Amino acid sequence: MKTSKSLLSIILIVILVMSFTAMALAQDLDIIPIKVRCRAKPPMENWRGLNFLVAEKDLNADLEAMGDPRRVKVEVIQDNLDWGDYITEFVLGYGAGESPDIWLTGHEYIGTQAEAGRIIALDGIIEEFPIYNLVFDTLWDCTKYKGKIWGVPQDAEARPLYWNKTLLKKLGWSDGEIAALPGKIEKGEFTLYDMLETAKQAVDKGVVEPGNGFWTRPKNGPDFTPFYYAFGGETIDSATGKLVFDKTAGLKYYGFFYDAAQKYGSMGCLGLDWSSAWHPGVTSKVLFWVGGTWQWAEWAEKFLKDLGGEAYMWENFGFGLIPAAEKGGKPNSLTHPLAYLVSSQCKYPDLAVALIAKVTNYGPNTRHAITSTHLGILKGQTEYKFYKQSRLLSEALYMLDYTTFLPNNPYWGTYSTITYEALAACVSGDFTPEKAVDFVVEGLNRELGDKIIIK
Amino acid sequence: MSKNFQLERETSSLSSFPNSKSFFSKLKSWLLPYAFLSPTLVVVTLFFFIPLVMVFILSFTNLDMTNFGILKWWQPANWTLDNYVKIFTNRFFPRILNNTLMYVSMTLIFFNVGMALVIALITTNINRRVGFAFRLIWLMCRLTPVVVYIMMWKALAGPAPMGVLNKHILGPLGIGGGEFLLNTNPWVFVILANGFIGASFGMIIFSSAIEAIPKDYMIASKVDGASTWQTIRYITIPMIKWPLLFVTTYQTLSLLTSFEQILLLTNGGPGLYETEVWSLTAYHRAFSSYFGNTQWGYGSAWAVILVIIGIIMAIIYLRVFKFNELIQEPKIDQL
Repeated sequence: MKTSKSLLSIILIVILVMSFTAMALAQDLDIIPIKVRCRAKPPMENWRGLNFLVAEKDLNADLEAMGDPRRVKVEVIQDNLDWGDYITEFVLGYGAGESPDIWLTGHEYIGTQAEAGRIIALDGIIEEFPIYNLVFDTLWDCTKYKGKIWGVPQDAEARPLYWNKTLLKKLGWSDGEIAALPGKIEKGEFTLYDMLETAKQAVDKGVVEPGNGFWTRPKNGPDFTPFYYAFGGETIDSATGKLVFDKTAGLKYYGFFYDAAQKYGSMGCLGLDWSSAWHPGVTSKVLFWVGGTWQWAEWAEKFLKDLGGEAYMWENFGFGLIPAAEKGGKPNSLTHPLAYLVSSQCKYPDLAVALIAKVTNYGPNTRHAITSTHLGILKGQTEYKFYKQSRLLSEALYMLDYTTFLPNNPYWGTYSTITYEALAACVSGDFTPEKAVDFVVEGLNRELGDKIIIK
Repeated sequence: MSKNFQLERETSSLSSFPNSKSFFSKLKSWLLPYAFLSPTLVVVTLFFFIPLVMVFILSFTNLDMTNFGILKWWQPANWTLDNYVKIFTNRFFPRILNNTLMYVSMTLIFFNVGMALVIALITTNINRRVGFAFRLIWLMCRLTPVVVYIMMWKALAGPAPMGVLNKHILGPLGIGGGEFLLNTNPWVFVILANGFIGASFGMIIFSSAIEAIPKDYMIASKVDGASTWQTIRYITIPMIKWPLLFVTTYQTLSLLTSFEQILLLTNGGPGLYETEVWSLTAYHRAFSSYFGNTQWGYGSAWAVILVIIGIIMAIIYLRVFKFNELIQEPKIDQL
């Protein structure tokens, strides 16, 4: 009896000591919550945020190995909010002292947030993680503002001109002619107005309905800028960093969209709802349209799954660069890299950057690239076994050689709104191209004053 | 004699009652009404008056996404009239104003007051239970969450073969080419979607007002040989003048500031500013932009003008409907 009592006492003492030891150890660990905010279209783009949950364990293992008492606890918030609301949420959240630690956004917002002091420059921190050397230099350029790096590129894409092969065949094009089209565009032999002529023929012959010859995105956004570039336009002055509007290029740019809508049976797309009208439209009844590579996955997953998904799309859709404005000119595309930014309210930016380093690697980035059909961001990624399996990513890769970017400027939003309103007025017939240019010049001068250069 | 004595005693006790009150009970009786009013005063001050003053001040600043947290918007040195100049020189200003006037007047005349009155008149002149059931059904669109309600309208207006109207009515009749009706006739749907909800408010107010008219008037008019129209024109309408004023004023102000249905239905499109009304512009400028260049100061200026328009409209209504006469004590009570 006495022996069993002693045994019980010993067991209790051991449990007590172990509990206290565990508690002491637990108290030594410093749990750091890291909030990651991403915009992602489910399910294709879910890896933008989910990669951090995988990275959390990896980083904690590193911290444990080197005896660092800190442990990160990642909280991912991601949804498909509109960009405008998404930005507002961050700014107001920051004002309330509740911004996320890591914030994924388009590179063009860097200027605004850097000027307002809401994000931190990453120079001096990223150098400690050599993995960042794998990121393409051109993508780093997108995240630079006033000579400093403010974000880590997350993905890239091309914005091709797509076409419906079935409708081109109905118009009388042969398989060979259709297959040769990307090459003709690349050589500058098939121009923007050649495309409109083809669209008009399709309308005249009843292959497509009026308005459906050529479509762009239905609302304001980056897709219009490469057309402005195609006509020789520039958006930023490299010497001063100020925004630029070129009247001569602007006149041609607005002339193109005015002609498209008023003379070539195109542009019946502005104002359409994305999911109920635009996506169903381009995947069935539109001859040419501008979209993003990421939409390839969206169409396969959401809109054409019943017809065979990607297999159906390879059968029926083709794509190439956005044609040059003139014969022999250079075609282009636009890349709009997203980047992970670190909030200036983040208490442990070193841990945030370490986490981003974990997701900036072949495995995590390729997961995202394949499922969302975004282009890779790392040198040598095209040789990565899993990346090579995506046919679209391989075939669209050459477009990066022709890519253009949006400017990093705090006033890009205002610039874009005014220039888009003029474009929409040309499409609706409210403005002539000349009136559109006047409207833009007047609006930019009024809204931006000395922050804009009119050429 | 004993009756007189009793009356005298009661009168004397009443006249002496106030004198018996202590200072604290006087204070209490003076403060009591304010104590009852205080919750409302606090709520109105916090959630209406202070925001209104802030919006008014913001309208003179260029507070936006780029300078939020940096600009000291409360300092008069940062106040200018630039936003107001921008509004009145905006090339789309006439279109937005025109859209607003059309939207408010059409919805108000045909639905919020017109149809509401018609429904009220019909449902109060038929079997009481049937009338009640009809009004209850009509209320469903008000009870339905706005997002669900607008999704139903979008399903109605959808392109063939999904759209209900295209598939089941226009298609079989050979009307149109199955287009997305929100693109081809956006205003029809904007006004219908708002009007169906709006009519339910007036319907309830008018129905109860009509029910409250003493039956004697109706019976007397029938005895005198008045037609239904004459009864409505000379008895019902004059007797519900006060509810008519209230509904017209309230719904005008409500329509001027409402934009959520339009936002969800067309978002001001499909063309450039095609269905953009004033309050939606204020929202777009202050809270919504593709590249996030939300301009809170500029949006506030649009909102302030809307408040001024609302106040002017309210004053006009009160004059037209002779509000002062309406709130006067009935002459019978003045005798």
